[in-house]
Amino acid sequence: MTRVRVTAPQSAARPAPKRPYTSREAAEESDVGQVFVRSLIRSQLRLAVVVASGFLLVIAAYGLMVALVPDLAQMRILGVPVNWIILGAALYPVIGLSAWLYNRAAARNEARYRDLVEDR
Amino acid sequence: MNPAVGLTAFLGVVLATAAIGFYGLRISRTTSDFYVASRTVRPWWNASAIGGEYLSAASFLGVAGLILLTGTDALWFPVGYTAGYLMLLLFVAAPLRRSGAYTIPDFTEARLESKAVRRVTSLVVVAVGWLYIVPQLHGAGLAIRISTGLPSWVGSTAVVVVVCLTVVAGGMRSITFVQAFQYWLKLTALAVPVVFLLLHQADAGTLSLAEAASNPTSLPPAGLYQTVSLLVALLFGTLGLPHVLVRFYTNPDGQSARRTTLIVLGLLSVFYLFPTATGLLGRVFAPELARNGQPDALVLLLPGKLLGGIPGDLLSALVVAGAFAAFLSTTSGLVVSLAGVISQDLLGGSVRGFRAAALVAAVVPLAFAFTTDSTALAGSVGLVFAFTASTICPVLLLGIWWRGLSDAGAIAGMVTGAVLCGGALGAGTIMGSDLAPAWLAQPAAWTVPAAFGVMVLVSRATKHRVPRSVTRLMTRLHVPERPVATERQVR
Repeated sequence: MTRVRVTAPQSAARPAPKRPYTSREAAEESDVGQVFVRSLIRSQLRLAVVVASGFLLVIAAYGLMVALVPDLAQMRILGVPVNWIILGAALYPVIGLSAWLYNRAAARNEARYRDLVEDR
Repeated sequence: MNPAVGLTAFLGVVLATAAIGFYGLRISRTTSDFYVASRTVRPWWNASAIGGEYLSAASFLGVAGLILLTGTDALWFPVGYTAGYLMLLLFVAAPLRRSGAYTIPDFTEARLESKAVRRVTSLVVVAVGWLYIVPQLHGAGLAIRISTGLPSWVGSTAVVVVVCLTVVAGGMRSITFVQAFQYWLKLTALAVPVVFLLLHQADAGTLSLAEAASNPTSLPPAGLYQTVSLLVALLFGTLGLPHVLVRFYTNPDGQSARRTTLIVLGLLSVFYLFPTATGLLGRVFAPELARNGQPDALVLLLPGKLLGGIPGDLLSALVVAGAFAAFLSTTSGLVVSLAGVISQDLLGGSVRGFRAAALVAAVVPLAFAFTTDSTALAGSVGLVFAFTASTICPVLLLGIWWRGLSDAGAIAGMVTGAVLCGGALGAGTIMGSDLAPAWLAQPAAWTVPAAFGVMVLVSRATKHRVPRSVTRLMTRLHVPERPVATERQVR
């Protein structure tokens, strides 16, 4: 492993030297390459929006439940009010599960992109 | 509480922090690359460090205090703090890592090729950092007053002195180690007393959580607008916090940035169970704290109140240690990232400049802390989230996902968000929490869309200012790095 020393980027003092394009970058900036890149960005954005909306829907559903079932605050599990259990503990696994599913799907999008680019 | 216990706990945390900093420094010379941006730090270490830095006074003291005060309304705070990291994972983590930017101003400058954008972003970042440090210092003042009986200013000053000494002496080089240790210390310091108290009360047969449902004070419940606005602030504020971004730089690539964030979410979820449980216990056994205006002290006072004697003292010492770990880790993380921004933009990026900037970054909020009164800690940190959500969040999200962002649009949007949100918060503070209407006290629900709207509209109107490098930069942000294996072979 090479040692990479991190200091304050001296961008103000001297601009980064223009290095020649690698063949990979050249391929990515070609018209065909950009089609693939744009489609990757679109699918990642769509995925992120879908997962975020799913989580917000769960929260909205909880809010609706509280509004529609006023008895919820009276119900108990092991002596603890049910709305405390939902909000104080049960939402966290939902967050974790959303994150895990997102990670898998995002990695899959990237793998698909890699396959496309390397096939050419 | 026994003053000696509090002092011993505080000194213990300071010494442990210094010792681990020193030890980590030696390790980093001999084994892997802690100093060199820790590019090889494992996701678990990195995630613990992120958790250690993120869990501040608001999480450690404020959440339990607010739950004691307002019950289920306050449970949205830990949910929002955690879900903020989900948003960060979804929209920011991997692209930001791939950008190679070390601070938020670095990112906006690279993305928009504009020095002016960089300067505006720096100003906003410094304002956010200072606003965020102040509640930490208020928390330190409260903790030292409760645990030792000394005046509040001693606690705030002690935290600033310790942070300045470690940063200036270079002890923050092994910051990953220190922050990771502080996460586990904070978790232990909350979890052990909660488990102990639950067992003790169950044993004594006095455990009935039925009373937890009723509020100890007559505060009105939060309305729909307030809850939605709070969630907007917490969900979109997290991804703009200046000290969070620096930690993502220590991941080797975009995919490991995502893996780290997933672990962080797990660590936060486990942590927040305990302030919630403490708040619940507090509503049953110590409701008078809510009525005499010291709800934030609940975490510190509950063990001594319920157990007494030596077990009570030991648990109190543990809690005080955890509290100071929270103040120290968040404050030092913020001071380091603020010092980076200040020294780069004003002092030319030299090491001496960095040290001077660190002093400025820590002393200014101390002056703020002296001149302002501590309010509910979780609430005042929530306001900082509203401010980042209205300023830095739009520029990051649009910068990462929208090619059409121009420098003029970014500046106009950030200024709009800062003026609207800052103005609303300022007006709300002047009017006092009893008089301020909800839309001033909790402005995120309208200031965040306003900032986004202005940013998009002005960018549309100044299309010719969109930098030509945008194609190349967007490619870099979103295209996966070459697999690590081939990268090693190339080298």
